[in-house]
Amino acid sequence: MSGSERRHGTPIDPPWSVDLLADLHAGVLDAETEALLRPRVEADPEARAVLEALDATLADLSSLPPIPMPRDVAARIDAALAAEAHGRPAPVVSLNSARQRKYKRAGWGAGVLVAAAAAVGVVAVAIPSMSNNTDGAMSSFPQPSASREVPGAEAKPDLAVRGENFGPVIGDVLKAQNYGPLDNQDTLDGCLKGGNIPASKPLGVSPIQLDDRPAVMAILTAGRPGAFRIVVLDPNTCGPDNPSGVLADSVMSP
Amino acid sequence: MTAAASSDADLISAHAAGDPHAFPEIVRRHRDRLWAVALRTLRDPEEAADALQEAFISAFRAAGSFRAESQVTTWLHRIVVNACLDRMRRRQTKPTVPLPEAGPGEPVAPRDHMAERETKLVVAAALAELPEEQRAPIVLVDVEGYSVAETAQMLGIAEGTVKSRCARGRAKLAKSLGHLRNRSADANVPVDGVNVQQQRQREAR
Repeated sequence: MSGSERRHGTPIDPPWSVDLLADLHAGVLDAETEALLRPRVEADPEARAVLEALDATLADLSSLPPIPMPRDVAARIDAALAAEAHGRPAPVVSLNSARQRKYKRAGWGAGVLVAAAAAVGVVAVAIPSMSNNTDGAMSSFPQPSASREVPGAEAKPDLAVRGENFGPVIGDVLKAQNYGPLDNQDTLDGCLKGGNIPASKPLGVSPIQLDDRPAVMAILTAGRPGAFRIVVLDPNTCGPDNPSGVLADSVMSP
Repeated sequence: MTAAASSDADLISAHAAGDPHAFPEIVRRHRDRLWAVALRTLRDPEEAADALQEAFISAFRAAGSFRAESQVTTWLHRIVVNACLDRMRRRQTKPTVPLPEAGPGEPVAPRDHMAERETKLVVAAALAELPEEQRAPIVLVDVEGYSVAETAQMLGIAEGTVKSRCARGRAKLAKSLGHLRNRSADANVPVDGVNVQQQRQREAR
């Protein structure tokens, strides 16, 4: 179709279908057909009423108000862009983890985001005792996420990191609100308090595996636009009175 | 560079030159409008957020090769619309999640009268009932005010197809919004859509 459409057999006289009148109204018909039809339509009260109805519909649509982006979505996008700005292209795609999130989300986008965030781990600060393996490899597990009832025992989270490179999982964590073995915001707040980190609702939170040990990663805003804070917690030990339950804590900014 | 005072094209150039503040400024300028497009197209706030995040990352990476043949806004919209359309294609067999009447969907403007507010919610609900292939061009042309040519470019379809899909969608909306009554148009419009006229009559009782 090129921009206008010649209608063979277009009825010259009323009644006309709403579809045909809507085509006339939208400029779909070719000039010759339109020139033929327009005066006849204008002379027909019922057809004119249809055109007026279409005008009223356009007025309704154009009066829809702007929709401001919610702050949490804006913060999430800022964090993802900051991660991208710090990173390098990395072809890391966790297909298994994507499949696991079949409820709520399509998996392919997560793969892209995992790749987008893949190289930011260079700025993450891990507690040295965690591991001396710094190859940054990411793997995935098909099991469902851990729960409070089985804190880090049989159930494994689907995001895994080795060494100090947390970057590969940031994209997935940003898209999750899964407290895993921490169960809820209150427990997370307590763990953050233990590390003297101000409590806030995370942009994303998810169980991860850090060198085959269960952990929870929370990504928080960092008080200025585009900056965010990555905190990794030991769900078995963290709490208001235990600073060592914070396994990693770093701030990223553009 | 003073990001706030620069044009979009200047910011794209600055981003390509390594200015870390340039691209976030572009995002800040356009994110509300792009959010509206994504939300009204996909009808699911979570999917809209994922699509936008993905689109902005994609734009961030491609910005270096941006050529000023089109406006930055058109270029960004095209990337966002493509991300939305990809998601729509992938979920074609899944039922869509209608936007709630409050919350993450259409905003409530505090100064609006109740009737105006209801009308806007009803229009948004009717829009959400349209088939996806008609909803996307109507969102871009009739809600966001893009030209048919720009919309055709964003959607990757012919201008005539944009016009034709808009025409079909408007006819359905005219019926469901109660602007078309007792016409022989019933064959052309859904009978199970949002019937605003009936809803308004019920509300008036």
